[in-house]
Amino acid sequence: MPAVCFYFQVHQPYRLKDLRIRHMDCEHPAYFDEEKNRQIFRKVAEKCYLPTNKLMLDLLNRHKDFHIAYSLSGVFLDQCKEYGPDVLASFQELAKTGKVEFLAETYYHSLSAVASIGEFAEQVGMHVRAMEELFGQTPRTFRNTELIFNNEIAQIARLMGFSGIIAEGTDHLLRGRSPNNPFRIPQFRVSRGQERAIGTKRPLAERAKDITVLLKNYRLSDDIAFRFSDRNWSGHPLSAETYADWVQHNDGHTVNLFMDYETFGEHQWADTGIFDFLEALPRILGARGIPFFTPAQAIDTWKNKHRDLYDVHSTISWADTERDLSAWTGNRIQQSALHAAFALEHAIKASEDAELLNVWRKLLTSDHLYYMSTKYWNDGDVHKYFSPYESPYEAYRRFSHALCDLRERVTIGATSAVKTKQRTKKHATISTGRKIQDARHKNATKRETNKRNNEITNKRTSIS
Amino acid sequence: MSLHTLMFGWEYPPLHSGGLGVACQGLVKGLLKNGTRVTLVLPMNASHDEGAQLAMRGPGQGMDGDEPDIRFIESALQPYEGTAEYEERMIAAATANGQPFIDLYGPDLGQAVERFTAMSIEKTKDVQADVVHCHDWMTYDAGIRAATYHRKPLVAHIHATELDRTDFHPNQWIAERERSGFLQADRIIAVSQYTKNILVRHYGIAADKISVVHNGHNVSAPVAHHNTIVSSAIHKRAPLVLFVGRLTLQKNPRQFLDTAKIVHELRPDVQFVMAGDGPMLPELMDHACALGLTDCVSFTGTVTRKEVDQLYKSADCFVMPSLSEPFGLVALEAIAQGTPVILSKQSGAAEVIEHGFKVDFWDTDKFADCILTILREQPLAEQLIAEAPSILHRLNWQNQANNVMSIYRDLLKT
Repeated sequence: MPAVCFYFQVHQPYRLKDLRIRHMDCEHPAYFDEEKNRQIFRKVAEKCYLPTNKLMLDLLNRHKDFHIAYSLSGVFLDQCKEYGPDVLASFQELAKTGKVEFLAETYYHSLSAVASIGEFAEQVGMHVRAMEELFGQTPRTFRNTELIFNNEIAQIARLMGFSGIIAEGTDHLLRGRSPNNPFRIPQFRVSRGQERAIGTKRPLAERAKDITVLLKNYRLSDDIAFRFSDRNWSGHPLSAETYADWVQHNDGHTVNLFMDYETFGEHQWADTGIFDFLEALPRILGARGIPFFTPAQAIDTWKNKHRDLYDVHSTISWADTERDLSAWTGNRIQQSALHAAFALEHAIKASEDAELLNVWRKLLTSDHLYYMSTKYWNDGDVHKYFSPYESPYEAYRRFSHALCDLRERVTIGATSAVKTKQRTKKHATISTGRKIQDARHKNATKRETNKRNNEITNKRTSIS
Repeated sequence: MSLHTLMFGWEYPPLHSGGLGVACQGLVKGLLKNGTRVTLVLPMNASHDEGAQLAMRGPGQGMDGDEPDIRFIESALQPYEGTAEYEERMIAAATANGQPFIDLYGPDLGQAVERFTAMSIEKTKDVQADVVHCHDWMTYDAGIRAATYHRKPLVAHIHATELDRTDFHPNQWIAERERSGFLQADRIIAVSQYTKNILVRHYGIAADKISVVHNGHNVSAPVAHHNTIVSSAIHKRAPLVLFVGRLTLQKNPRQFLDTAKIVHELRPDVQFVMAGDGPMLPELMDHACALGLTDCVSFTGTVTRKEVDQLYKSADCFVMPSLSEPFGLVALEAIAQGTPVILSKQSGAAEVIEHGFKVDFWDTDKFADCILTILREQPLAEQLIAEAPSILHRLNWQNQANNVMSIYRDLLKT
């Protein structure tokens, strides 16, 4: 009889304003829709975060063997500070029980793992620091954005210092094996460049000797996350008793139930009975002797036993039926947007402007690309459900305006000539203007070298 | 058993190439292809249109082939000019509401409709049809009479309402003709959900009586580049933004110029072309001058099919800012020629076209911004060009005719 491992994803992106090129001509506006973000945050807080956290706290106090895990994105935590200190406090209450594991992820919920290893390591580092600061624990388990995973990412997570990583249990990779047992990854070395990049920015003190993969049991996870309120589903209405039967009939070590936290109260409304279901589950599973583990506990309790190989050459994720990267990079505008955003990395970082860096990183949030997906348009699909914009093209329009403006801001510092500014504004697409960035980068490098020389001179002076 | 439909139309290519005629022809051809027999009754001024009449098949011919059996009712009215004049008067109607009908329209259109109605039975006595199908208000009374006489169910097709044409300041007499047709029909076919909503909300028609069958498009191969007068008038390398449609209130051509003004301020290199003729032309030329757009806006006047296709082909984006557009075939035409589209949300086309921008007809700033975005973002333009044509395969006339035939069968069952 397996244990149950719950991990909940908590995330909110910064949605973009209805930006217009015309209004960006004279001044640089704020890109993010403060009002809408606040409004959505408060709505979800009232429907999901606050009531679910209250219930979770109660369950953790009531049931000795009940443990859960969260991954809270950094941009969610930033929004907590802006729009919901009460929500943050309720998560901190949960942390105090000592029965909650907080996972590490990229601070900005970004696709940096597949675009820039330097940025990837920096964002994970930022997130680890935030977990330490806010919840007093250093993460041991890594969850990449949207469970984006491949052999290399797993290896990099190990080099970053994580001993556990979670991934989607996809059928074609499992080939009939159960997702309920911990897996290992193939052994290989990443390139020296990558190793160096991680080495200088390692989020944890030292690299891990080994890393264990926990796989999402998507059938049992989706029964709660997607099908719970589906009246056409044969399992509807789902009782905690029935669900416990299904769990009990599974083999393996842990049934890993990974889902969006917004499942409770937001995707599945309170009137579907989702809270009653959640309330009953620990009691019913407990009565059957089924314990709850966090990911770290699941890995610890499995120690020294055989682990099968989970070999992932092409990148997987937990999104859509494809379970690959196509939700974010499936079409031309998505690819263009992703490429253009990361093309600014050098210039932004060379500017040493904290505000620009923060804005740029908020634009790296994967949701911006997700909203541009045109995959199953005709089916009135989940992309549409989650998108705050009326179409993928609207998403691209807003995003491209923000990115073009940001590029201009970063180039103002580099090339003071106003003429160049105007020219880039009107004609550069989001994927051009590279030359200026390079110039900016060179200037910055020069400045840095100068700075370093000065420092050396200063040191010499002080020594002498 | 094959179906036989008795149709009453008002215009039909090559006599007229307005949206109603084009859609009517598409539907007729689609029905014939699917094995439905079509008898089509049209108004005709014999003295003016002899050539055109000969170009089409006469009565009795092509009953089982790929041409409909067309029957003409002579009238004093030449449909082409009559409609133009009619539209001119609609503008007057919109600005001077409340005047008696006769002052606004003159006696011609009303007379033509009356004569068409009066002859509807005489011309169709021998027709053994299963269903009577009429297109827009001019033919509704004829349809009602014929359906009563033949004791067959009546289908009223609505391509454009009086409200669309007049910015919701209808001529009451016409609106009443429309309403009476809707009420007496056994089934109404609207060309879009948008139009169905107008019927429900403004005419008070029961929603379950109205079926939506979107217009189709017979995919024509994209045209090759030719040096026509129109294309040589356009500065070759400059980005080109295009408007196509009659220059009437409904098409909201002023919005196109106001939008051009904003785009021009940021991108003086962009050229704008307004293709089409219409009563608002002089006013629009004045407006363009007043906005300081003389160097970047061209008016083509009436254009041929070939020239329009050429313009679509050369354009970097196509804008349809209509106030109220039941469907908007021009949007499909632009897409067929590989042009990104920006459409008024107040249109039927916006319901079915997914790969394009949709903007409220009044939102000048947003229209301008969408144009600027498409011009600036090559990957965006490429994706719109590559993805949008998928709609053309879905909305072909044979499929749409099939939907109409299901409606016929449904009516015959009861």
